[in-house]
Amino acid sequence: MSFDFLWQGFGVALMPQNLLIALIGCFLGTVIGCLPAIGPINGIALLLPIAYTAGLPPESTLILLASIYYGAEYGGRISSILLNVPGDAGAVMTAIDGYPMARNGEAVKALAISGISSFYGGMIAVVAMTFLAVPLSLLAIKFGPAEYFVLMVFAFATLGSMVGAEPVKTLIGCVLGLMLTTIGIDATSGAYRFTFDQPELHDGIEFIILVIGLFSISEVLLMLEHKMKGTLKPLAVTGSYPSWSEIRYIWWPSFRATVIGFIIGVLPGTGASVASAVSYTTEKRISDRESTFGKGDIRGLAAPEAANNAAATGAFVPMLALGVPGSGTTAVMLGALMLYNIQPGPQLFVEQSKLVGGLIASMYVGNIILLVMNLPLVQLFARMLLMPNWILIPAITALSILGVYTAYSSVMSVMIMFGIGIVGYILRKLGFDMAPIILGFVLGKVMEVNLRNALAISGGEYSILFASPLSITLWVMAAMVVILPWWRRRKRAAPPGLPG
Amino acid sequence: MPELAKGQRRISRLAAFFLMIFAILYGYLGGTVEYSFSSDPIGPRGFPVALAIVLFGLSVWYFAQPGQSESWPDRDGQIAAITLLALCSACILGMNFLGFLPAMTIILGGIARLFGASWPMAALSGLAQAAIWWALFGPLLGGHLPKGLLGI
Repeated sequence: MSFDFLWQGFGVALMPQNLLIALIGCFLGTVIGCLPAIGPINGIALLLPIAYTAGLPPESTLILLASIYYGAEYGGRISSILLNVPGDAGAVMTAIDGYPMARNGEAVKALAISGISSFYGGMIAVVAMTFLAVPLSLLAIKFGPAEYFVLMVFAFATLGSMVGAEPVKTLIGCVLGLMLTTIGIDATSGAYRFTFDQPELHDGIEFIILVIGLFSISEVLLMLEHKMKGTLKPLAVTGSYPSWSEIRYIWWPSFRATVIGFIIGVLPGTGASVASAVSYTTEKRISDRESTFGKGDIRGLAAPEAANNAAATGAFVPMLALGVPGSGTTAVMLGALMLYNIQPGPQLFVEQSKLVGGLIASMYVGNIILLVMNLPLVQLFARMLLMPNWILIPAITALSILGVYTAYSSVMSVMIMFGIGIVGYILRKLGFDMAPIILGFVLGKVMEVNLRNALAISGGEYSILFASPLSITLWVMAAMVVILPWWRRRKRAAPPGLPG
Repeated sequence: MPELAKGQRRISRLAAFFLMIFAILYGYLGGTVEYSFSSDPIGPRGFPVALAIVLFGLSVWYFAQPGQSESWPDRDGQIAAITLLALCSACILGMNFLGFLPAMTIILGGIARLFGASWPMAALSGLAQAAIWWALFGPLLGGHLPKGLLGI
C-alpha cells in the first residue's frame, strides 16, 4: 500500500494559497453552518461559481468546497446550542443536550465540548479515510465499462432505499437528473437530443445553473413563506471552558460515535443526520444510567457532534475511491470537478492522485484550523445568529444571480436558473429531495457512456453486464439494498402472530 | 385536517400524472432522435427511451402512493412569491439596459422589503449590498457586469 499520494497531497494542501483557501472555507463554512437559513449544500452551490470565476485550479476549488462542508458541520452546532434550532440536518441531535446546557449558563462549555468532539470525530475519520481509500481505489483498476455501469445502478439503488421514507420520490429525482444529462449533442453519435433547435441547449444544461436554481432559488422561495415567524434571540454565551476531566469523560462516547458516524457516512445515501441520530440513541442506551440525557449531559452532546463530523468525512470515501458521491453535498463537489473536465469514476484516485491527496491532506489541516478557530471565535459566530433575514436572503439571491451571470455572461442563463428554481420549489413542496437530482445529473453522462461502451464491446449482448464476478457482486448488493429494507418494513408492519 | 391531507394528495396525484405525460413525451422525443451513425448498438435513442420507461413506472407508483407533501402557501405567500419572481425577472431582463447597480439595488431592496425590512432600510440595504457585490464581482474578481445607464 503506497501513501505517496498523501505526501504529494500535503505538498498541495500546505501551499500558502491553499492554506488561505482552507482558512476562508472553514470560516465561511462555520458561518454557513450556524445560520439556520443556509445548509452546507446551499453554501457550496453559492460559492462554487466564485471559485470557478476566480480561475482557481481544481484542487484549490475542491479544498475550498470541502472546507466549507466540514466547516458547516462544525458551525451547525452553534444555533442548535444557542437557539435550539439546528443550523443543518446533522446538528438536530446536538440541541437535545446542548440547549439545556446553554440555558443553565453553560453555553461556553457546551460550545467547547461540541467543538472538541467535532474535531475528534473529524480527525479520526480522516485517518480512517486515508487507510480505507487506498485499498478501495485498487478495486478501481478492475472496473471496465460494464462494471462501472453496474456500480452506478448500485449507487442509485442504495440512495433509493436509504434516503427518506419515500423511495419512489428519491428514484424519480434520480431519473429526472439522468434525463437532464441527455439534453445536448450526443458525444458518441453527434445527434442533437432535446435541443429544440436552441443553440443554448447544444452543450446541455450547465451544472452551476442547475445546482444554484435547485438549491438556492428554491430555498429563497421556501423561506418567503416563513418570513413572518420573526427573528429568534440566541442565549448568551456565558460560563467556563470544560475541565480536563470533562474532556477525558467524553473520550469514549466520542470514539464510539465516530466509528458509527464514519460507517454510516461511507454508505451512499445516508449522511450526517442519520449518523448523529444513531450515535445519540446508541450512547443513551449504553451510558444513560441516571436519566441525565436530554437535560444537559455532555456525553449526549459530544456523541452526535463527533458522529456528524465523522459522517461528513466518511461521505468522501465512495467519492474519492470509486468516483461515486456518497451524499448530495459530495455530488455537488463531484459536479464541480466536471466543470474542469474531470470525469467522476473509479479512475479518479488513479488519474487525479494530486487532487485526491491534496483534498485528504487539507482535511487534516482544516480540522486543526476549525478547532483553533471555533474555540476563541465562538462569540463572533454567535453574533451571526442575529443577522436578520432581510439582509441574509438578498445576499443569497445576489450570490445566485452573480454566480451564474459571471460564469456564463448571459441574462438567459440567469432566467433559466430562476425557471429551475421554480421547478425545484414545486418539487420540494411535493416532498422531493433535491440531492438525488444532482446525483443523477452528475453520474448520468458517464452511466450512459459506459453502458454504450460495454454494449459496443459485446456487440449488443446484454450478458456483458452480468459477466464478471465484480458485476455480479454489485448486482447482488444492489438487489439486497432494495429488497432488505422493504422486507424489514413488511415484517415490522405485519400483525403479531402472522408470518412476516 | 383530513381535508388538507386530501387536497395535498390530489396535488401529488396531479404531479404524478404530469410526470407520466412528461415520461411519454420524453420517450417519444428520445425515440425519434435523428442520427446518421453510431458506434454502439443502442445509439443515442436507447438511454432516453429506457429512462422514459423507468420514469413512467415510477410515476404510476407515485400516483398509487402519493405519500407526504408540504402544505402550499396561502394567498399572501403566493402573492409574495409571484412578486419576488416578477421583480427579479423584470430587473434581470432589463439589466443590460439599466446596468448592474440600479437593477441589483431594485432586486435586493425589493427582497429585503418582502422579508420584513422597512422601506428606508430596504432601500439602504439594497443599495449597500448592490455596491458590495459590484465591487467584489467587478473590480476584485474581474467579472464583466453590465454598465447600462450609469456607465459603471
